[in-house]
Amino acid sequence: MTKRSFCGSAAHAINRRGFLSTLAGAGAGAFAADMTGVQALASPELAQELRRNQKRCILLWLAGGASQLETFDPKPGAVTGGPFQSIQTSTPGVRISELMPKMARRFKDTCVIRSLNTRNGDHGGGSRLMMRGRAGESNLDYPDLGAVLSRELGQQDSQVPDYVSFYFATEGRSFAPGTPGFLGARYGSMDLYTSLIPENIRRAGISEQDHQARNDLRGLISGQFERGRPSDSLDSHRQAYQRVRGIMAHEQLFDITREPQYIRDRYGPTLFGQQALAARRLVEAGVPFVRVSRAWWDSHGQNFETHQEMVPELDHVMATLLDDLEQRGLLESTLVLTLAEFGRTPNINAQLGRDHFANAWSVTLSGCGIKGGTVYGRSDETGNRVADGEVGAARVFATIYRALGINHQKNYYVGARPVPLTDPGTEPIREVLA
Amino acid sequence: MPSNPRNLRTAREIARRDMLFSVARVPNTERLFVASSDNKVHEIDAAQQNIQPIEHADHGRYVTAVRVVGNTAISGGYDGRLIWWDIQNRRAIRTIDNAHARQVRHLALSPDGTTITSVADDMVCRIWNVATGEKLHELRGHEERTPTNFGSMLYVCAYSNDGRHLATGDRVGHVVIWDSATGMQLSAVEAPTLYTWDGVQRIRSIGGVRGLAFSPNGTQLAVGGVGQIGNVDALQGPSRVEIYDWVRRMRVHEFNGQQQGIFNKLIWTPEWLCALGGGGNGFVAFHDVANRTMIHQGNVPMHVHDAALNEAGDKIYAVGHQKIALLEIRA
Repeated sequence: MTKRSFCGSAAHAINRRGFLSTLAGAGAGAFAADMTGVQALASPELAQELRRNQKRCILLWLAGGASQLETFDPKPGAVTGGPFQSIQTSTPGVRISELMPKMARRFKDTCVIRSLNTRNGDHGGGSRLMMRGRAGESNLDYPDLGAVLSRELGQQDSQVPDYVSFYFATEGRSFAPGTPGFLGARYGSMDLYTSLIPENIRRAGISEQDHQARNDLRGLISGQFERGRPSDSLDSHRQAYQRVRGIMAHEQLFDITREPQYIRDRYGPTLFGQQALAARRLVEAGVPFVRVSRAWWDSHGQNFETHQEMVPELDHVMATLLDDLEQRGLLESTLVLTLAEFGRTPNINAQLGRDHFANAWSVTLSGCGIKGGTVYGRSDETGNRVADGEVGAARVFATIYRALGINHQKNYYVGARPVPLTDPGTEPIREVLA
Repeated sequence: MPSNPRNLRTAREIARRDMLFSVARVPNTERLFVASSDNKVHEIDAAQQNIQPIEHADHGRYVTAVRVVGNTAISGGYDGRLIWWDIQNRRAIRTIDNAHARQVRHLALSPDGTTITSVADDMVCRIWNVATGEKLHELRGHEERTPTNFGSMLYVCAYSNDGRHLATGDRVGHVVIWDSATGMQLSAVEAPTLYTWDGVQRIRSIGGVRGLAFSPNGTQLAVGGVGQIGNVDALQGPSRVEIYDWVRRMRVHEFNGQQQGIFNKLIWTPEWLCALGGGGNGFVAFHDVANRTMIHQGNVPMHVHDAALNEAGDKIYAVGHQKIALLEIRA
């Protein structure tokens, strides 16, 4: 199937319910994830509908470790609670930090898991764990979440990148790189460190006509060479060129100045807001996984002022992103996550800081496949321990995979060795799945 | 014989489980009123051996500031309220709800005790009549947003000794000097070194103006905080005080403390300028501003948030992280 460039149009002529019911018999999730051979869907309307049904994921990576007490698991009145109050969300009985009024109002699509115990308070180890969903293994290089979703949700002949990662701050970048691991470079991340638009896809003064001519020549020579020489590596080589051409053709995807001003205003002027808008453009165009990193939350000193500065931005950007996805009909097919390497200590140190803490912290899942407006698990009164529903990274990842319609017990093969997506015996948190 | 900061010693430590953000002393006594992270104001008689704290106020949120005038304590906190307390009968006698739209950071009592000034993160400074609770002036001279579009904070205010002038300082280092009688802005100085915006490594900020003190004659203004920080994860920068000729809007002097951290409290007497703060551990520095020399620097038993000097100028009652410390400056 040939993907079309993103038009931004809200119009789509076919009946969505009818289309989905047609897909249902074949298993819509699997169908959408492996649709490359379905020639019948080549029409623009069907292609657009399919794009809407394709599962995607945006990861808001809160690098450095945001405080669960100043975000999604407040403890007002506890000695560890800090100065901020909690406020009622749109779900009766569920309260989050007063620093997040916008998310409180639109909590209906979000599930907070408040009982994560990952036991690793080290930036590097925690990042690797929360990027992969499992501890490392010396003789096996596991792919990260983006690479797996790129593999599972991407399309073989896609002309847009499958995994885009924004990480502009320099701190912590090396702790949490996109890693395709044994899946291979095909599923690696396109890393954007300094510019929303990838520098290496700019045309550097070469016209589109020149590019096309070069591509045609390359195709001619390659075609002659390949004739009679079927080879995986030649095919991979050709695919790589096609993807580069596709990405170049989609340079506009990264260009948020093409958005109407009112949309840009909604996301706000901060870098995080701009990156979230770029992420929305990318997933709308079919990119299955985008990571937007907001660094750096590591507030060993002045924790409350740090969170007073950063949480309102998170609140605004996250709520705006969810609203925008919903208004475009994309939220039901897009999973939005907030993950980090860990949370922060309930104990408040002498610098009014909170330190690294992995024993009872929170993550959120919103949108696709998630039972919104819910909370899973509970930390104790002071936030020092999980009181109910303890989960580790593996179950969170199993839940993510299931929410996206992916069999979390599926095996990859490294040589003859089967490697399941999640460790054997891991179950998703079914209570949070829609 | 005048007290000599080189002879500073910690005379007493009073352990606490809470964090204390502000202290006020009843004149000519050792009765202290402290603002606590347990949401209350506590009265402590530091003259007693077996201290029995008395609870006074309950803001329901962190209490950040307390001042005492006569038989009244006035407190402010994260609830945005100002509460007047009868300290004899331990009851609230006036509450101003929504005194500020956001958390109150600091209170300053005028030298004659007739007005009290509050600053808060709504970036407004308000002057109140102590006797009636009437709002006398509303001073707006601080931006609500930082240059990088994050919410700013208004930390501190201070009166000159003659009560004519009032200074306010915010997160980005903007300091405004006001005519306290009219509410007119008289001057402003910039102390940007006290605000670190890290737009490359961590994309966030730290710092701000935390201490303010006019010189005894009122012509100069000391501004305290922490200098530029390489790693904004913690207070890992030089504790710093800058001295301004606020009329001419000129910085005339600055000094960095030996220890890394933030100066939260400044006390300026005719003999010395004292700066107290911490970077996890507490510290104090005494400076001779006229001669631009450091008199003494030393440790304090805890990270200090506020302090009060006695009338004789030989005792400092410092409060901070889980402790009250009585510092003696002997002759």
